[in-house]
Amino acid sequence: MAQEVKTKATFPSVEWFDALKEIINDDEAYKRHGTCDASVGIKVPEAGKYFVITFEAFGVEGVKETDEAAAENTDFWMEQSYDQWQEMIKNIADNGKADLGHTLNTLDVEYPDGLARSNDGYRRDLFYRFNQSFQHFFDATAQIDTRFA
Amino acid sequence: MSDASTTDIPPELLQVAEENGIPLDLMRRALALGFPADAIRQQMSMPGVTAEAAEQFISEQEKIRSGGEITIPDDVLALSREKNWPEELIKRALTLGAPSAMLIQQMNAGITAEQAASFIAQQEQLRGGAGGAPKLDLSWMKVPTEWGMRISPGKKGLTVGMLNVGTYADIPDFWPYHSEMPRGAHPILGLPAMGYSIYEKAELWSENAADLYEEAIQRRWRPSTDVPWESMEDLPDAVEKAVCQLCTHISERALVAGDIVGAWLPEMSYGYHEVKLYLSVAEFDVARWFEVFRKRALSNGGGLGIQAPGYFHRTLIDARAWTEASAALHILAASQLMMLFQIGHYTAHNDAERTIFSYCIQDVARQRGYGSQHLKYFLSRHSERRVEISHVLNKYEVMLQYEWDADTPLREALMILLGGGASPEQIADGASKLEYFRKRWANDYVDQLAAAGLGERRDKVHRSIKQYISEPEEAAAAAA
Repeated sequence: MAQEVKTKATFPSVEWFDALKEIINDDEAYKRHGTCDASVGIKVPEAGKYFVITFEAFGVEGVKETDEAAAENTDFWMEQSYDQWQEMIKNIADNGKADLGHTLNTLDVEYPDGLARSNDGYRRDLFYRFNQSFQHFFDATAQIDTRFA
Repeated sequence: MSDASTTDIPPELLQVAEENGIPLDLMRRALALGFPADAIRQQMSMPGVTAEAAEQFISEQEKIRSGGEITIPDDVLALSREKNWPEELIKRALTLGAPSAMLIQQMNAGITAEQAASFIAQQEQLRGGAGGAPKLDLSWMKVPTEWGMRISPGKKGLTVGMLNVGTYADIPDFWPYHSEMPRGAHPILGLPAMGYSIYEKAELWSENAADLYEEAIQRRWRPSTDVPWESMEDLPDAVEKAVCQLCTHISERALVAGDIVGAWLPEMSYGYHEVKLYLSVAEFDVARWFEVFRKRALSNGGGLGIQAPGYFHRTLIDARAWTEASAALHILAASQLMMLFQIGHYTAHNDAERTIFSYCIQDVARQRGYGSQHLKYFLSRHSERRVEISHVLNKYEVMLQYEWDADTPLREALMILLGGGASPEQIADGASKLEYFRKRWANDYVDQLAAAGLGERRDKVHRSIKQYISEPEEAAAAAA
């Protein structure tokens, strides 16, 4: 189930997440999941890259590169190694969406500390409450010709 | 009164006039009096109607409408006295255009004056028009509620939470009304009570209830068509049986959850409609779980399995306070259910199962959201009841463990699913993975309690849960 590739960008970078933001904000299917309000940190520790994505209502409000502390000062952050991020994104590109072994839910239970982490159990639950939206968000990376830094 | 000479005559009346020798001027005058064309046609077509009789009737009507004295024909007057119909009633009937012959017929048929008065009053109201409109009370328009509200939709549309502005945002700590009156409306004093028992905000409130309601409505899903059922394929017999046992277990828990919330909803007064709205949709969520897991069990060559022992369910049903029931159902049981959904997703054999469990994870997370935030609100208002809540949780944790130990079919089914089959090696692998999921669940549960303001329970949970809790140093080391 290949998706149309709309742009090229390098992971991890603000440009890559911005490209994803543009795709999502034009995607009617994403809106059909319902509103999603969450500030989500993205951590790629080996690369020393940290981002905060702000999901609001029916779209993505903003993406910014930040430091580790700011990435953790969110509702929850998603953290995995650079290789694991790469594997997930390649899997999505190959299949058009994450296969059963690479969904956010699967990765979350496979990692002893979870993919989604937080300092607050209630705020971490936003990962589960809006899970279809977040999965849709990352599945849309199939529309980016991703280069890896 | 309209000018008769300018009144157009419909074709059907022209035809009747020609057939019965009625002058067209009489037709125009009848129309000008406001009689419907169909009524004129019927009257003029009656046997025995002559131009003279029509002229007499219309002249009488014109006289009445112009304020002249109403003349009751002698035969009608005589019969009305015999039948005890007051003259005033006859005059009202004539004013309405009732023909003398019809009045005679009605009186002879035994219609009483009371029956006639009722019918005539209805006709007068119908014919009244602007001049005869019923007099309205309209005092209700002066209701002392806040008026002039113009709440506009935002990015998420017009949500329930947005309606809480001005006096409509006043959510009192105690709701004083015993009836079903919506918050913000003006009460009628003296109405019988509806039998609610929860009138204190702290006993049910959760700050996120309005948002959870909107979220649940937006994220609703349809098992019939949103699940790609066609993706299912035959599974090894032991695996199919394990899936079906898990489906049976979850179906049963969904029924119990529905019964519990359904029993408490009528206890909650209407001052806190946000909570009632959300819990109503949560009822729908659990009904959908029952539906979808029954569908999964019966759609791939398997069937339903064996029922659960039910010790925990019976304890839950016996809860005597909503906060107790909610903490046990929406935090403790929901966290364990989250583990079952995660195992279901992790071991999904096809897109249908993956889809089912993904949606269920969203649903149960909302229920935890209500549970933890309600308990947090309750404790913020009743700090003196922390110990009581802790004791309550002790009871439910013990019962949940007792249920787990007694539910051999569920545990074995989970091991088979996690191991991928029923060989000794697969069972060993499954047992190990089940322990891993149990540890995740235990830590997740105490995180939820901490979010609800009961962080101290990390050290007080039942030993069956405590054995899995990561010590802070261990957690820090794992994160490093």
